[in-house]
Amino acid sequence: MRAFIIYGLKRLGQFLLVVFIGVNIAYIITHATPIDPVEQSIAAVTAYGNTSPEAIDLMRESLRELYGLKGSPLEQYATFWRRIVTGDFGPSLSSFPTPVMTLIARALPWTAGLLLTSTLLTWMLGNLLGGLAGYYRDNKTLKLIGVIAMGLHPVPYYISGFVLLVVFGYIWPILPITGGSDININQQFDLNHVVSILKHSILPAASLMLIGIGSWFLGMRSLVSNVVTEDYVTYAQLGGVSHQRILFSYVMRNAMVPQVTGLAMTLGTIFNGAIITEQIFGYPGIGALLVGAVYAGDYGLVLGVTTFSIIGVSAAVLLIDLIYPLLDPRVEAS
Amino acid sequence: MKIKRIMSRVVAAIGIGLCTLPAISTAQSAFSDLPRNETLILENPEGTIKNAGWFNIWAISGGGQSTGLHQVGMDTFWYIDPEKGLDGVWDNSLASDKPIYNADFTEMRVKLRKGIFWSDGVEFTAADVVYTVETQIKNPAMRWGAVFNLNVASVTAPDPTTVVFKLKKPNSRFHALFTVRWNGAWIMPKHVFEKVADPLKFDFANPISLGAYVMKSFDPDGKWYIWQLRDDWQRTSLGRFGKPGPKYLVYMDPGPPEKRVIAQLNHQLDVVHDIAPEGMFTLAKQSKTSLGWFKGFPYGHPDPTLPALIFNTQNEMFKNKDVRWALALLIDIKGVSMASYRGAATISAIGIPPTGTHPSVYHGPMQDWLKAFEVDTGKRKIKPYDPNMGKEIADSLRPSMGAQIPTDRKQIDAAFGMGWWKPNPTAAKELLEKAGYKKVGAQWMTPEGKPFTIRVMVEGDTRPIMTRAGSMIVQNWKQFGIDAKVDVAQGTLPTRRSAGDFDTFIGWSVETWGGHPDLSYFLDSWHSQFVAEVGKPQPARNWQRWANPELDKIIETIRTIGFDDPRGIELGKEYVKLITREMPIIPLMAYNVFTVMDETYWKGWPNSANPYANPVPNWGNSRYMLVKLKPAK
Repeated sequence: MRAFIIYGLKRLGQFLLVVFIGVNIAYIITHATPIDPVEQSIAAVTAYGNTSPEAIDLMRESLRELYGLKGSPLEQYATFWRRIVTGDFGPSLSSFPTPVMTLIARALPWTAGLLLTSTLLTWMLGNLLGGLAGYYRDNKTLKLIGVIAMGLHPVPYYISGFVLLVVFGYIWPILPITGGSDININQQFDLNHVVSILKHSILPAASLMLIGIGSWFLGMRSLVSNVVTEDYVTYAQLGGVSHQRILFSYVMRNAMVPQVTGLAMTLGTIFNGAIITEQIFGYPGIGALLVGAVYAGDYGLVLGVTTFSIIGVSAAVLLIDLIYPLLDPRVEAS
Repeated sequence: MKIKRIMSRVVAAIGIGLCTLPAISTAQSAFSDLPRNETLILENPEGTIKNAGWFNIWAISGGGQSTGLHQVGMDTFWYIDPEKGLDGVWDNSLASDKPIYNADFTEMRVKLRKGIFWSDGVEFTAADVVYTVETQIKNPAMRWGAVFNLNVASVTAPDPTTVVFKLKKPNSRFHALFTVRWNGAWIMPKHVFEKVADPLKFDFANPISLGAYVMKSFDPDGKWYIWQLRDDWQRTSLGRFGKPGPKYLVYMDPGPPEKRVIAQLNHQLDVVHDIAPEGMFTLAKQSKTSLGWFKGFPYGHPDPTLPALIFNTQNEMFKNKDVRWALALLIDIKGVSMASYRGAATISAIGIPPTGTHPSVYHGPMQDWLKAFEVDTGKRKIKPYDPNMGKEIADSLRPSMGAQIPTDRKQIDAAFGMGWWKPNPTAAKELLEKAGYKKVGAQWMTPEGKPFTIRVMVEGDTRPIMTRAGSMIVQNWKQFGIDAKVDVAQGTLPTRRSAGDFDTFIGWSVETWGGHPDLSYFLDSWHSQFVAEVGKPQPARNWQRWANPELDKIIETIRTIGFDDPRGIELGKEYVKLITREMPIIPLMAYNVFTVMDETYWKGWPNSANPYANPVPNWGNSRYMLVKLKPAK
């Protein structure tokens, strides 16, 4: 137990170091962007409106002061870390003065709901079918699924999304193609709203799952194909253990370890959002928020989203490292 | 057996899922309870508003503005229609008359309408105007704060319907701040904002309205905003023109272009704001109810904005007008029109958009001058203008587009533009040689002996039309032996444009009222007093950073005459002649906006035959079409 605690503390230290380095890199990159948020704001104002050049100079000065961009780089860096340790990323510069955290908190449930559900479903279906296909290698249906998975696997998200969009939005228009719920729906927690949200999530989720299942399927099939040739599996078969037990308790359990790692890593990236999917389906979420922030040069918001992502992926790795010894007895904390 | 059982369960689950889809989907009904025949659905080109609940339009970058907020929720003194207008181009909106200036333009007096009310029942008065100006003077980071600070010495309300502005210096165009061309300085509700500690940090949630509609509901995730016609719509400035047709307005983000097409084909989007030419052509072909500004080709509404190739004239390569002219004579405008708009462009050789009043005031009357205009190549004088270029574009399209292409010359001029510069590589060669450039092998070299390399900055996929135009121009120059490259700026464009970090770029530094011939809207900003030093941010709009004493004189004279003074047109023509000679920008065409309107639920749309309003739905001026729209069913 002591060894496990020491191991856990070491891993926690590594986690904090990774987060610190990651956030610093993100800070440097976002502040090195050639996009100036003040110029973006001014461009938005002057793109159509009638503003004299002298007024623009005055506006530029006023906005720099308002956005807190006037201090030295070191002062700005210190302010950033002061804020971040209290969970405050400051105001969004492209939605001033709304706090970055408010915008993230509004977008995150959409992304988490969509990606958590689709990732878990994809993982379960892909692994189940892949496990079956690796074990029952002569089954024609599973072979066919294998061919389909192989074909779908390299298709980019945006292609599958676009196909679904055309099929279910235009040729057979039965599903909504934009937004997170119906226009003018009462956004209370009631059945209508829940059904509306589910309905709007079908196409984006399907576009992610179509491709994702293929990936998990192929991975699991390869792993199981290797495991079934192990001596203990042959021995179990000779010993008359049922196929179901061999498959689920002996073969798939052993093959699951790398898949669980993969799942944790994938869940960690939820905080990145499904940028392309959210763009294609106009789905509200972190990805869409991030794209808008990059275009606007809103580095406060970009940093906020990126920090969540860094923490998400690092925490997933940490979690996996901590539970690995529990999942696989061959791995010991020492 | 087990595997079969598992598989059959999976297949059954998928089957049940597919069968229940139609049941739960109710055929894409996007609305829970709005009667479709009373609802007008318009695209908000701002997309999804990430800070959806922010309605304080006087704070910069706080939230959305084309969400219906500035089109139907706001109001100000005057509107100028970029087309003909409901009752003329000029509309006295909150003002009851035109601005009244004193002799030296240091005072502007405004008489206000009586009987205009905010949606919460409070009467609009001069006190609101005084509050709007004084609050923004105190807060220069507010949208009109800087410009009020620079202009207004004092603002007073001698009575509830009179406002008097004392100006810090003479300004014959001060009223333009309160005149809507897309937007204007919107009036704040004093009785709401005066209770707020910091007007910059107040979200103005549940906004009250001065327009004919009031906010009904909105999506907290910023996808849609619904506005409802006020019961007391007669007590708004729009009420003078009758009851608006739609009871509800939905401003929504329909997503990328392909989804806008699908949405309109499914009759779920009445007004597409803009779309690539291919999308327009698809809608024209597949939907009998979809209409553009023109009945047929080229469909789009020419905005009073002039996409051009803009030289960075502070760059050594482009200081010589002979070089600029040589590059203009290498451009094949027919190719640019085809590449950018698939031929659906309205070309312009002069530095004024070919839209609104301008073709009849500038383009048409200046044809003789353009035909006689000569360029000295150093070896000879050429007359570069081809008055039939627009007609030639129309003729080249006729075999594939058939009867959609007009044959009447007036219609061709209106739709495709009049003339442009005839490509003349020989003259371009002579001009470059005159400027000291020479060709070594297949490559043109600068007078310093370096390869003549030009980057053409374009925005990228966010503005495909101009990106395609830039790519075609690069091709034209490359074929001649110039090392031209496309430089895709994407989101960095505003920053780079302001910093002068470009050789040339495709954009606009010319935009006008459209419906009024006065050019000060953009021209004042071209005065040399505003040209920034190399490396410093250039204030909008003289992105070419061009300074010219002759131009300064024109601008200074315009500043001293009234807005409607006919001398303004003559000075405008002088400006055209000057920049044609000097070519600091190469004017290309109008920014044609493919606004597509669906007649399934609403009829009475404005179009080129009945140009009573600008249909482009993010313009504040688009509110005027609401009173002409009637249910189609």
